Amino acid sequence: MSCSNHNVYQPLIAVLDEIHDEIQDVRTFYWHFEDPQDQGGFKDFMPGQFAMISILGSGEMALSLPPSPTEERVFFTSRRVGKVTAAMHALKPGDRFGVRGPYGNGFPMKDYYGRNLIIVAGGIGLIPLRSVIIYALHHREKYKKIQVFYGSRTPKELMYTENLKEWRADTGFECHLSVDKADETWKDHVGVVGSLFKKPGVEMPVDNTTVFVCGPPIMFRFVLADLKNIGYEDKNIVSTLERYMKCGVGKCGHCCIGVAYVCTDGPVFTLEQIHRLGEVI
Amino acid sequence: MKGRLIHRNDIIHLIDHLRNNYKVVAPFEGRGRDSCFDEVTDSNRGTVALHLPNPYYPPKRYVFPQIQKLFRIWDGGRASVEEIRDESKVAVVGIRSCDIEGIFHLDRFYLGNTFKDDYYEALRSRLFLVNMVCTDTEKDIDDDCFCVCADAGPAARDHFDLQLMDLHDKSGEFLAVAGTSAGEDLFFQPFFRKAGPEHVTRRRDVLEQVRKRFKIATSWYSSATKFITQGQIKESTWKHVGDRCLECGGCSYVCPTCSCFTVTDRKTGPATWERVRMWDSCALSGFTRMAGGHNPRKAVHDRRNRRFFHKLEHMVIQKEFTMACVGCGRCARVCHGGVGMPAVVEMLRRETAAAKMTEKS
Repeated sequence: MSCSNHNVYQPLIAVLDEIHDEIQDVRTFYWHFEDPQDQGGFKDFMPGQFAMISILGSGEMALSLPPSPTEERVFFTSRRVGKVTAAMHALKPGDRFGVRGPYGNGFPMKDYYGRNLIIVAGGIGLIPLRSVIIYALHHREKYKKIQVFYGSRTPKELMYTENLKEWRADTGFECHLSVDKADETWKDHVGVVGSLFKKPGVEMPVDNTTVFVCGPPIMFRFVLADLKNIGYEDKNIVSTLERYMKCGVGKCGHCCIGVAYVCTDGPVFTLEQIHRLGEVI
Repeated sequence: MKGRLIHRNDIIHLIDHLRNNYKVVAPFEGRGRDSCFDEVTDSNRGTVALHLPNPYYPPKRYVFPQIQKLFRIWDGGRASVEEIRDESKVAVVGIRSCDIEGIFHLDRFYLGNTFKDDYYEALRSRLFLVNMVCTDTEKDIDDDCFCVCADAGPAARDHFDLQLMDLHDKSGEFLAVAGTSAGEDLFFQPFFRKAGPEHVTRRRDVLEQVRKRFKIATSWYSSATKFITQGQIKESTWKHVGDRCLECGGCSYVCPTCSCFTVTDRKTGPATWERVRMWDSCALSGFTRMAGGHNPRKAVHDRRNRRFFHKLEHMVIQKEFTMACVGCGRCARVCHGGVGMPAVVEMLRRETAAAKMTEKS
């Protein structure tokens, strides 16, 4: 976490390099800092951390970091839902915007060395978990079994399709895909993402395992119930929380849940911690 | 701490002296019981009030302005985000002990923790505080004051530069105590004279009389804190609080310890904006509403629950070092629903204790 003497609210100017359409209303924005010296902070971060993005004149928002620190390029992926994301989606290559961060605790990936990793993502919940997957594959020998379960509503709504192709071809770990509703192109599993756990041939280790879960609230609830049935303990299930944020540094008060600030104490919490916060998630 | 005497008629000279180096703000009377802090100028210096009701609008705004400009943003050909610095140097004369404690709470919140707030620090480092002890039981204190319960008053023990206290005797003397070396430096000015042990005794006697004035002498903080921390408050109690909340946000705006803000970009030209931050309130429904409409704290009572949880829960108190209430009574005065801090503390205590009795029997 950066904590230097400069003004913590100062956004640094970034230049948009390339835009990639992921799915309907979701785009990935590749970028670099105008001043190469600013890039330092975005070479050394942890999966699960986030950044504050300023779309000049529209406002500032929090976005999770989908790239892994082990990759060369940095980018954000956002869905167009509000005022600032709409302005972001109107940007063209070469346009400037502001970035500050990275903020938050991130997943303690080094603490998970020697453990099995199970990554469960639904829809755009893959955005923060993409970083985890790339990071874990980069340090493949540090982890035992790695399983990815990713589901979306339709085949057209699967994110990061290039990555998915690579992951499916990789024999070093398992990547299971599912869609709620198939179309004529879809030959794979159909059903909610939790149904993949019961797919023939899938064996999920329970002991010495950390499970990452990210996705829409309804998927989250059902997946947690499935995981509980299999026997995973709350302390071994981790997720990242989303909140309205204005500062990212524990001052504006918007993301406060119980005694915690999502921006500085999170956004990564174990399910055990989430229950202890005592608020509706 | 060194004590000196200053005559009531000389306090304006102290203010004039401070005006050489500071923009001095002091309390003035308005109509009725209304009062406000305002800048002391040549034309209004004769009407600075020493005893008057504490202004609703808390002096926290001199370190945490209601609207504060943060950046100047350009986006036309080139893009830049340039910091806006407020270089003003303010001395607040007549700030009450509760508000002193409030600023101290903000100090720990904005300057402590992981990140330091530069804007707060810039204003705070130049701020000079002349505390006025509430001694006039008619004018300074009213029935809603409860600083004695919050351990914040009537006389602040620390965190001021200079403290003045009316000794209420025929001589018209005020006892001055320095809290910092900057405050002590003022004692070289000719309007300060040596104080004797009789003045210290007099100070103690005055304070003893003042303490008797408080109508709410025991706000049941400790039991409210205990019940909140142990999660014993019934959902129905929060609903009772929520039912009376009008969602105006007034309690946050007048609170000397409330620190939440929102940030927005205001257009100032064809390709220029100002990024400003402004006070925000957890009472408002948009406070936690995310893009796309999901709002984790939609119900009013849930939002009220969070306000009092944040101010009174043990872990939060530990984290922010003190309970975020200084007993100024402003929320009790402004709340149209009658759910200011003392009333809520009383509701939490009474309903929870009653529920526990029923469970036992």
